[in-house]
Amino acid sequence: MTGDFKFDTLSLHAGFTPDARHGSAAVPIHQTTSYAFQDTEHAAALFNLEVGGHIYSRISNPTVAVLEQRVAALDGGIGAVATSSGMAALFLTVLALCSAGDHIVSSSQMYGANVNLFQHTLSRYGITTTFVAPNDPQAFADAIQPNTKMVFGEVIGNPGMDILDVPAIGKIANDAGVPLVIDATFNTPYLLKPLHNGANIVIHSLTKWMGGHGIALGGAIVDGGNFDWGQNDRFPTLTSPHFGFQGVNLYEEYGPAAFITRVRTEGMYNVGPCMSPTNAFHLIQGIETLGLRMERHMANTAKMLDFLTNHDGISWVKHPTLPDHPDHEIAKRLMPKGAGSVIACGIKGGRDAGRAFIENVTVATHLANVGDAKTLVIHPGSTTHSHITPEAMVAAGLTDDLLRISVGLEDFDDIKADFKQALRAASKVGA
Amino acid sequence: MKLSVNGFETFASTGGREFNPATNTLIFIHGSGQSHLSFMLQGRFFANRGWSVLAPDMPAHDLSSGTPLTSIAQMADWHIALMDELGIKTANIIGHSQGGLIALDLAARYPDRVTGISLVACALAIPVNDALLDMAKNREPAAIGAMTDWGHGPDGHAHDHTMPGQNHLYYGVQLMSANETGALYADLQACVDYTDGATAAAAIKCPTQVIVAARDKMTPIKFGLKMADALGTTDITTIPTAGHMLPSERPVQVNRALRPFFAQV
Repeated sequence: MTGDFKFDTLSLHAGFTPDARHGSAAVPIHQTTSYAFQDTEHAAALFNLEVGGHIYSRISNPTVAVLEQRVAALDGGIGAVATSSGMAALFLTVLALCSAGDHIVSSSQMYGANVNLFQHTLSRYGITTTFVAPNDPQAFADAIQPNTKMVFGEVIGNPGMDILDVPAIGKIANDAGVPLVIDATFNTPYLLKPLHNGANIVIHSLTKWMGGHGIALGGAIVDGGNFDWGQNDRFPTLTSPHFGFQGVNLYEEYGPAAFITRVRTEGMYNVGPCMSPTNAFHLIQGIETLGLRMERHMANTAKMLDFLTNHDGISWVKHPTLPDHPDHEIAKRLMPKGAGSVIACGIKGGRDAGRAFIENVTVATHLANVGDAKTLVIHPGSTTHSHITPEAMVAAGLTDDLLRISVGLEDFDDIKADFKQALRAASKVGA
Repeated sequence: MKLSVNGFETFASTGGREFNPATNTLIFIHGSGQSHLSFMLQGRFFANRGWSVLAPDMPAHDLSSGTPLTSIAQMADWHIALMDELGIKTANIIGHSQGGLIALDLAARYPDRVTGISLVACALAIPVNDALLDMAKNREPAAIGAMTDWGHGPDGHAHDHTMPGQNHLYYGVQLMSANETGALYADLQACVDYTDGATAAAAIKCPTQVIVAARDKMTPIKFGLKMADALGTTDITTIPTAGHMLPSERPVQVNRALRPFFAQV
């Protein structure tokens, strides 16, 4: 918006002003559970939401608040709540909007835990989900029901790298009086700000690219403040009297901040998946270099794609920046700086070759995560899905030759040399 | 609270507490392109301390229907109609920016209805530059962006907020975007057209106070102090490092300044 600082400046400064008493230039870690009240009136004012401040670190914490304000600024949101993980962020979002008997429309191509939450956990509490293909906007429109409370998808689907046409799906959802909630973990606000492209709420796993170092778990919910919760009667959690705070009507009294206020005053109060101040500190350090890191992630990903598509040991490569990806045009339009740094590819020689590749890499790390500064690899066929038949893997959208690569920030010459020797070793096993 | 004023549905925040016209009433009047949400942290604070609070949305602003009012006098008359509708005989008026001009006009023309006025980030006149006026008329989102930028001081631009996790600038944009198209232009034009500030100030007999922001780019501090001089008030509070959006940027300091004044009147 007019007058706001640019991305890299916000990454370093947003949400923090040095305190007058100590002048600490770095964000201090407020490692405390609770906060001394100035007097009884101050305590009452905090509990009545009359003044800003902190009561108990499950609800808010000064270090965590800096992280929240920084993420909100980077995403262009009116506010954020940080959570213990990305999954907690998704759960609290659902909690704030949905009750038993309500319905969600979701992309079918998503991180497994997101699917499991909708399909197996929420269904036990009477919240049902219709899954639709992310590249079929009409299917989203057709699936919306009178009791639908949110439409959900990932910008870059995990693990298939399908790209959600956020503006198109956002329009469909909003035309039906429903907010679009986006998991922006794989894109980060560096590649795309969904709130400025038709989405209303963004969630992140900050554990991944936002933090970047792989040392701290965390999540965030960012409220765009751009959805009119009072346009229909679908959202009583926001437009009816709150169970606390003298029955405040959040829609009337907090306006654009109604949703994020409900998240904090119900999700954090009553469920409590809070972020530790130390994790917030670590994540802030990561975010300080987000722009620089994403630039390198994109550069190394481009080099890796070039390497893999020209290597004899690789039978196929899937990434949205490749012209043969079905969502290539959408990716180019929405994310001109790049479509993330996760690549899926098939190794010749199937499951055995995949295992050999993984066991021979030395620079890349074999683990079940993405978005680290280091290059990460995993072969689902010999690890997470080793007990599943090739046929069952295909049914799950996976193949036994699939390698998932999260391209890191190392000097690409070293990654390339590492992959070359590991692919050479794999070719001997798979031959 | 929802009620009908001049035939149109009107929303007025009561600070989360039931409104009782029999107790001391505070009426918070929002600025150009703003709404009751400007005073969110004043309304709740004073409603929980025994005052009856009203922070209305003027017509075409946020939750109120109707068409925008086009002059400061019309806006003052509308607030009298609101008071009449609720049976409020007298009230203390708090005006932010354009709301301060309305408070001046109210206190000058309806002295029997106003017990005191608090003018926050205001001046005797609020001229608007032609470029902003043109933006408001023809490119409203650009005007909202510019006003949100100019309206906030260093904390707003640092995205540091007294409410944990919240963001001044983007909240400000969404707050203003919730109004009907055309409301901002009507407000700004009404400010441009209002030239009776000095006359009104000279006529006002009720207690007055002035709260100014040291980093206010929209109603610079010198004009706020000039207004205080015209009113003959010595109840002046200067809040350092804050911008024009004082009530949301510095709610604690604003409430601290307002409270003794309310107790006195």
